[in-house]
Amino acid sequence: MSKKVNVGPVGYMPQSAPSMGVELSPEGKGLLYGEIVEEEVAMKEAAKALLTMENPTIFPGPQVLWDWKDDVADKTNAILELASEIPNCRIIPMPDYRPKYPKIDPEAEINPNHPNLTILHNRIKACIFIGVHCHYANLSLRMIRSGADCFTIAMCAFMGHEEAMASIRDVHASDVRRFKEILIQVRNELGIEHTPTMPPPNPSLPDEKWDDLSPADYGEYRHLIMSKKGEHVTDVE
Amino acid sequence: MSLQYMVPSANFKKYLPKDYVELVDHGPFGRDASEVGAEKIGTFKELVEEHPMCSGCWMAYFIKVFFAALPNPEDTVTIGTAGCGRLAISQAAVPFIYGNYGDQNAIASGLTRAFRLRFPDRNKDVITIAGDGGMMDIGFSMTMHAWIRQEKFTTIMLDNEVYGNTGGQESGMSMKGAILKMSPTGKKFDKMPATQLAIAAGCVYVVRMSPTNIKRTAKIIRRAIFAAREVGPTFLHVYTSCNIEYSIPTQDVFQDAKDREKDRFKFDEYMTDEVAALIEKLEPKKEKKAAN
Amino acid sequence: MNKELHDIEYLLKEAPKKKHFITGAQAMSEAVKRASVDMAIAYPITPQSEVMHLVGDLYAEGHVTEYYRAEEELGTMSAVAGAARAGVRMFTATSGPGLLRGLEAIVSWPGHRIPAVLGVLTRVVNAPLSIQPDNIEMAYLLHCGIVMLHAENQQDTFDMTLAAFAITEKVDVYIPVSVSTEGFFVTHAKGYVEMPDEKLALTKHDPYAAPVPVMDNEVPPARIQRDAPVQKSNFMSYLIHSVWQQEIWDSNRRAMKYIYQYLGGPIEVVNPDADVFVLASGCAAAQAREAQRYSANEGLNVGLVKVRAIRPFPETEICAALKNAKAVIIPEHNIEGWLSKEVRAAIPNGGIVVNGPRVYGGMTLPVELIMKEIYDAYGMESHVLQA
Repeated sequence: MSKKVNVGPVGYMPQSAPSMGVELSPEGKGLLYGEIVEEEVAMKEAAKALLTMENPTIFPGPQVLWDWKDDVADKTNAILELASEIPNCRIIPMPDYRPKYPKIDPEAEINPNHPNLTILHNRIKACIFIGVHCHYANLSLRMIRSGADCFTIAMCAFMGHEEAMASIRDVHASDVRRFKEILIQVRNELGIEHTPTMPPPNPSLPDEKWDDLSPADYGEYRHLIMSKKGEHVTDVE
Repeated sequence: MSLQYMVPSANFKKYLPKDYVELVDHGPFGRDASEVGAEKIGTFKELVEEHPMCSGCWMAYFIKVFFAALPNPEDTVTIGTAGCGRLAISQAAVPFIYGNYGDQNAIASGLTRAFRLRFPDRNKDVITIAGDGGMMDIGFSMTMHAWIRQEKFTTIMLDNEVYGNTGGQESGMSMKGAILKMSPTGKKFDKMPATQLAIAAGCVYVVRMSPTNIKRTAKIIRRAIFAAREVGPTFLHVYTSCNIEYSIPTQDVFQDAKDREKDRFKFDEYMTDEVAALIEKLEPKKEKKAAN
Repeated sequence: MNKELHDIEYLLKEAPKKKHFITGAQAMSEAVKRASVDMAIAYPITPQSEVMHLVGDLYAEGHVTEYYRAEEELGTMSAVAGAARAGVRMFTATSGPGLLRGLEAIVSWPGHRIPAVLGVLTRVVNAPLSIQPDNIEMAYLLHCGIVMLHAENQQDTFDMTLAAFAITEKVDVYIPVSVSTEGFFVTHAKGYVEMPDEKLALTKHDPYAAPVPVMDNEVPPARIQRDAPVQKSNFMSYLIHSVWQQEIWDSNRRAMKYIYQYLGGPIEVVNPDADVFVLASGCAAAQAREAQRYSANEGLNVGLVKVRAIRPFPETEICAALKNAKAVIIPEHNIEGWLSKEVRAAIPNGGIVVNGPRVYGGMTLPVELIMKEIYDAYGMESHVLQA
């Protein structure tokens, strides 16, 4: 099929997919490489990418990371079920949209102001965006297409995304599960053996418990945390 | 409902980055002043993460105290405008709106009215924080008219007496005679009387201060927010020096802030009777407690 | 107010309608009445004050829930941006110099993804000062990304204003929509408008069906700063700003399908097989329509292309309509001819464009001026019109 929207890197200044004539799919259909297709077709291709490309990653956005609505819990269950069926899958969240100073930890999160920090650092070649507000999803997807070779999949609660290689619209928990079933089917067709495994937790989370820590635990470094009255710390890193 | 947006979905808590988990577990959301607050900095996860401010920036210090002093950060929206302030304020875990140029009080007028429409039974604190240029020069009309219309929100002016972010130009709040960019032979007119203008425009609680005392600073910020919830517009004129443009060595910044308290930033608190009654109600005197 | 809420398609197409004889200002206000608008902010400038007076009456009657007069247009437009971010449906209107005074805020709305409807009731831009109609101000809006609809008459004003609320809130659009028409010629003149009963209204604004989070502390993320950040390249890519701009123009482009759905498309063509076309927007289109009618009476094969949407610009549609045209006459109410420039740049056969006739500074556009150009296009003799 013709690929209007293909895996990047496209180059310095990407042309936006809508300006190339790509239109959002109507209800009941999806997008694959910028063409309107049946949802199953897009899901199959997306599943193949996740199963055959390196470091498949799911990027959950704020709309599923926080328990703000009744349907979130079920959706997160569905996302984790999907993640567990993808070999070597990781989950890296997009917790918010503002630029984070000084720099994000690319193994701990992805940020729409510089998504390629995460994509390139982790050598992610296939990824799913889910639960990200549409505006920021479009920005991230376009930046990724511009600067990285990464197969992007958008699972959108609204109308979908022209910039992704594969876009599914009106996504509820049931659609995530449907995608999971298709992925299992494709996985079997490809002959890939896999037992469901939960993705590893966020690497920035420490193993220790901090709850009962006090400044005294810092010993000789205590003064770096709270300087004494009248004391002025002149040594800086 | 609002605290729900700060509760991670159970399945994803272990996938969140560390600073978000710390915010949820040890942050100030939903906790009251006895547990968290400006005097307890160091014992809880602060709302401000790292920020790009200069070493010795007194504004950065005030912003840290400001965020620690918020009574309900989970129901607060801050609005800023072009200037140094927003570079730090935008790094806090409180929704922040980037105004254009000096329009923060106009944005706040629309925002606060819309909140009162949508949430008539809740307190949604709207706080504009901007520099002297944004508040009193380019934004003057919008600042004053929001006050004149009696829009109920808090305004905080971070007065470093210069346009710091754009390279150190003279501002309406600079002192007469100050030699700054665009006033190479010294500023020709006096520092604008911001607090007097605020009182004349109808602000119900107006304070001029240099934030050298954490406890008092936090108390003033809270008073301004509480008064804005029910009574009328409130205004804090805060001295937040720019050590870069005024060449104050970092170790002398605090002393400079204390010196200003003796002259043009002498502490001054104005409130209407209505606000005084409200404060009386909200801050019971310690003597009363001791008597029980 | 106990209103029966419906979607836009029902209100515009299916609902039973009654014919009223009202001014353009009334038409715009009647649309606002039926649009479940939450807040409107007003500031006087002739000739749009009339619209905002009527909207003020709507507030007093309970059709609009919040309303106030701001201090000037920059304050108005900034407050609109603030309120829209809090999740309420907004309306305001302005004219000429007022538009320009508020322009700094207005041009930032698309980038901030502010869904609002802006009435632009055109008036001469100083200097020299006049309160009379002239739509040069629309040229200043062309480059900011806002969706621009141009109403020919009072019916259009009503339909477009009502549709604007639906279009601006579509999740794949979510940028402001302006509905322009000429001051006085349309705003203060009466025409027939078919409207559904005022008991019917548009379904309310859902702030959570949006491509950006509403700033009400009820929607994640908590650490949010919704607007494009100041560029500090150590922690963001400069590309974020470029792709953000692209997103605005893509959203503008996406509005086209809704213009088809609700308004019948960005252009209207009468007599598609004509050799000579008159192409116009706004109330110049009414005069163009008359010229087409006169020509038909005289046996001349003249067609009309009325342009409803200036942005997104209907390039494909206009190219198709003018493919075989010998000449296209573009009458306008401004000295620059911004519409002629758009058309000339869009079509491959730009040489067929006749630059004019144009009137400005408040002059009316007699049909005879257009007829003269038509006769010239046919190489026919005509009397020169005396002012």
